[in-house]
Amino acid sequence: MNEQTTQEFDFKDEMIDEKITAQQEAIENEIAREQKLISDLIKLDSLLDEYSLEDTIYRSKIIELSANFSLVRKTRGDGNCFFRAFGFRYFEAIMGKPDEVKRLKDLANKICTDLNQLGYNSFTVDDFKDVFVEELERLADKSDVKLLEEIFNNPGSSDYIVVFLRLIVSAYLQKNADFFLAFIETYQSMKEFCSHEVEPMYKESDHIHIIALTNALNVSVGIIYLDRTDQTEATPHNFPEDSNPNIFILYRPGHYDIIYKN
Amino acid sequence: MSATPQSALLLQKQLKELNKNPVNGFSAGLIDDNDIYKWEVLIIGPPDTLYEGGFFKAHLYFPVDYPLRPPKMKFVSEIWHPNIDKNGDVCISILHEPGDDKYGYEKAEERWLPVHTVETILLSVISMLADPNYESPANVDAAKEWRENQAEFKKRVARCVRKSQESL
Repeated sequence: MNEQTTQEFDFKDEMIDEKITAQQEAIENEIAREQKLISDLIKLDSLLDEYSLEDTIYRSKIIELSANFSLVRKTRGDGNCFFRAFGFRYFEAIMGKPDEVKRLKDLANKICTDLNQLGYNSFTVDDFKDVFVEELERLADKSDVKLLEEIFNNPGSSDYIVVFLRLIVSAYLQKNADFFLAFIETYQSMKEFCSHEVEPMYKESDHIHIIALTNALNVSVGIIYLDRTDQTEATPHNFPEDSNPNIFILYRPGHYDIIYKN
Repeated sequence: MSATPQSALLLQKQLKELNKNPVNGFSAGLIDDNDIYKWEVLIIGPPDTLYEGGFFKAHLYFPVDYPLRPPKMKFVSEIWHPNIDKNGDVCISILHEPGDDKYGYEKAEERWLPVHTVETILLSVISMLADPNYESPANVDAAKEWRENQAEFKKRVARCVRKSQESL
């Protein structure tokens, strides 16, 4: 290849990069317009509309699920969906219960101390914790779903809560690195894993994140796996395994929504 | 939330902290006292590098949703470096927008995190000065020159160092 064509080639590559970026932005903007961070309550069977009539595996699993579950809240598919779904549902479960709110607040403060000991700068970490606790305390004495929806649909407060939940996972994994190191394959250290797979916004969550978050907060969560595997029922999976959760999250490949038991 | 964005409060806190307890290697202030989102920093060329002895001025532009998104950084002083483009814009992985994964090479590198501060950003930039990343150059000519003509590369950097001293 001579000099001239090399240059042309680079130029083309750059054009393609720009086009891809522009297209990604357009898609992201469209998602942001069409899907609130946390949706209103919708009926579980309205999910049937997302699948064609021929899609019998999904359809029969949804119908099966509706024996025990009736309502759903959809979350925006921005990579933060597990954290946002969990945060919303957990706040919802403890709002109006001052003792539980206080327990979570004390835990949040303790986690900040852990983070400081792990070398995190206190004023950045505290900033996320402060918003987390402030919003939580607005719900300490009252069950106010409207206010909760407002908090989680306002990107300012909602994203700060997501960041703090990510930091909780990071702190827990780093503190318990000896145990969890066996589960991370491509990273040299837990610190490295956390700064690539946990702390960056929009990074999707996996089992390890769910285990860490539920352990760190001592909260039980049931994940309902709805996928194309050849069973008639959606598979429930509790974290921790032997627990009896009242918070449920619906997982479909690549995405988490909130689901409510009857 | 209050009328003052969270990001402004966080930046004010950082500015105060940096003035009280300065960090080795740079100093920081605002370009305009009324705008907390635009910072001017003076970076001291790291010792034992080609940039030693230089005082390089750069600007940081923070978005309102900092620290969810990174600031942009631009050298105002003339500087010759593979990871700083010819307009002075700094191109390192931690300053890329989150979720922006179009460069495969970034996987192994540090990404933008909400816990990054002015201090951690500048420490990364200072380490970039000491240890350029030739594999993803923003200034292709500088990278090429470093590879093919180190003497000329050194001369150019030395000229920038001298200029930066004169303009102090």
